[in-house]
Amino acid sequence: MSTRRVIPLRWPSVAAVCLVGVVGLLAFTWPFFVSADFATAHGNDAPWLFAVLLGLLSLVCLAEITAGHLDAKAIAVLGVAAAAGGAMRLLSAGTAGLEPMFFVVIVAGRVLGPGVGFVSGSLAVTTGALLTGGVGPWLPFQMISAGAVGLGAGLLPVTAGSRAERWAVAGYALVSGLLFGLFMNLWFWPFLGPNAPTGMGFVPGAPLATNLAHYGLFYLATSLGWDLPRGVLNAALVVVAGPALLRVFRRAARRAAFGAPVDFDPHSVVPPSPSATAHGASR
Amino acid sequence: MHLRERLQHPAAWWLWGLGLATAASRTTNPVLLLLVIGVCALVVTERRDPAIPNPLPAFLVLGAGIIVFRLVMTAILGNGIHGDTVLFTLPTLPLPEWASGVRIGGPVTLESLLFALYDALRLAAILACVGAANALASPRRLLRYLPVTLYDVGTAVVVGLTFAPQLLADARTVRAARSLRGRDGRGIRETARLAVPVLETAFERSLGLAASMESRGYGRAVHTSPRGRRFASALALIGLLGVLGGLYGLLDSSVGGALGLPLLALGVLLATASLAVGARRDGRTGHRRERWEWTETLTVATGALAATVLVIASVQAWPGIVPAQSAQPPPVPLPAALAVLVAGAPAFFTPIPRGARR
Repeated sequence: MSTRRVIPLRWPSVAAVCLVGVVGLLAFTWPFFVSADFATAHGNDAPWLFAVLLGLLSLVCLAEITAGHLDAKAIAVLGVAAAAGGAMRLLSAGTAGLEPMFFVVIVAGRVLGPGVGFVSGSLAVTTGALLTGGVGPWLPFQMISAGAVGLGAGLLPVTAGSRAERWAVAGYALVSGLLFGLFMNLWFWPFLGPNAPTGMGFVPGAPLATNLAHYGLFYLATSLGWDLPRGVLNAALVVVAGPALLRVFRRAARRAAFGAPVDFDPHSVVPPSPSATAHGASR
Repeated sequence: MHLRERLQHPAAWWLWGLGLATAASRTTNPVLLLLVIGVCALVVTERRDPAIPNPLPAFLVLGAGIIVFRLVMTAILGNGIHGDTVLFTLPTLPLPEWASGVRIGGPVTLESLLFALYDALRLAAILACVGAANALASPRRLLRYLPVTLYDVGTAVVVGLTFAPQLLADARTVRAARSLRGRDGRGIRETARLAVPVLETAFERSLGLAASMESRGYGRAVHTSPRGRRFASALALIGLLGVLGGLYGLLDSSVGGALGLPLLALGVLLATASLAVGARRDGRTGHRRERWEWTETLTVATGALAATVLVIASVQAWPGIVPAQSAQPPPVPLPAALAVLVAGAPAFFTPIPRGARR
């Protein structure tokens, strides 16, 4: 069975996603290669600049991907993905890090293609933020990262419905959970500046290896404890519930008939029979 | 002067919050930062949206948590500030060779603690501004102002917002049914069993909604022509290229930092324009359209005033904007304090939210 592409990715969208991806990568990794005088002059403004920039760019990206491709049914399916993500966020509001949200995003991206994966990832994060009243400068970074998680799930090179899919997707859930944390820390890490623990802070202008080592220590000391349980939880959920959930999504996609070709030929329309007309008129 | 009870325009409150957050981000003076937090608390107490639970306390708790966490981390692991005033000394933990840059324990100085406190306080103040904006105007009211190109995406978010609580209710129902059959409903396997019926119901409901939307002609709300679409795509791609080039120029000063900022601004402008020109919508009347009156303008102006004064102060390096870490209380620049206090005025001149008085 082929994967149904609810949102086909044409070349302008692909180009837009790639460009936004490069900007996103810059927004996260600029501390590692920026010059010393820029870092000392703008180290405090740069995270805000990138938050605003990524907010705008994720909107542009969403517009490029969805423009003209969303009908009511696609909106309904995206709405369910967003609702599930938001509900997971509501549930896990107390337990930081243990977010089963990615599980839904990964399944949606897997079944409905990379385009839906990106959109549902960023919409799930947005819905969760709107529900918990947690709209802040971190939201654009989360939108891009969660979108990338969904996009990657759609691009995984395994055949849909095969036995290998379950384990590949579970492995992907584990890795993406860890990577999400690895990248999300980076947006505020340069903020800490000299305030980070000794040997774990961002040193402006230091060689790449030093900053990478410092960040590695910082990640091990602070974030891994949250990211690892999240990755493991998502992977376990995929192993246990993945196949059933994939079936639920595939059934919904089939029922919404996203792949059905629409052709309308006025000559092939059967004229209504007299009895049917009479029946209609008598009513 | 009597103003009719109404909710202010959400954009006004968010712009006000952004202005105040910009102001807070430019200083580490604890007095100014506490003033910012106080102003946020005051305005929220007076004018918050009564229809939603108040999110400000959660943001304040988060800020307090950050301060405590930073102080404890600084005491244990130290930071880049070396001072002379040693408050107390913690026992040192020996570490292997590869972690030579890290120290655990050792002398704790007043200077490093104060630096951590001031810096964490700044983050807490910014969080308070964001929390105040969340409390004064629920961000979902901003969904109405999404550009037409994102109309469909906005609808999906609204569907998600509406269905998420129902999803939780469904989960509770399924769980109750399972516990009646003698399952305790704990563990990861049970959670997984829960997911299938809940999502099935959600899809059922959602596709039903889609069918009803289609039968009511929903699909014809937004017009796109292939030509307009291509134009918008071209604008977006050129804008993105401009943003990328501008960022490259900004980050790598050897290329020419002078070109970076204009290129970035041009790219941002083009990308924003692509959101506006991509599609158009039928003119339609809105239910309870929000109005923009003089109170909104004045609210935004007070926030902008605070931001402007503090930006000027930090550029000209007024004394006390970035105070030294010493035991004496830092000097407070009077104009900056006054500018922050003026940002609290919307608590008094804006209209009272509908439903706040009973």
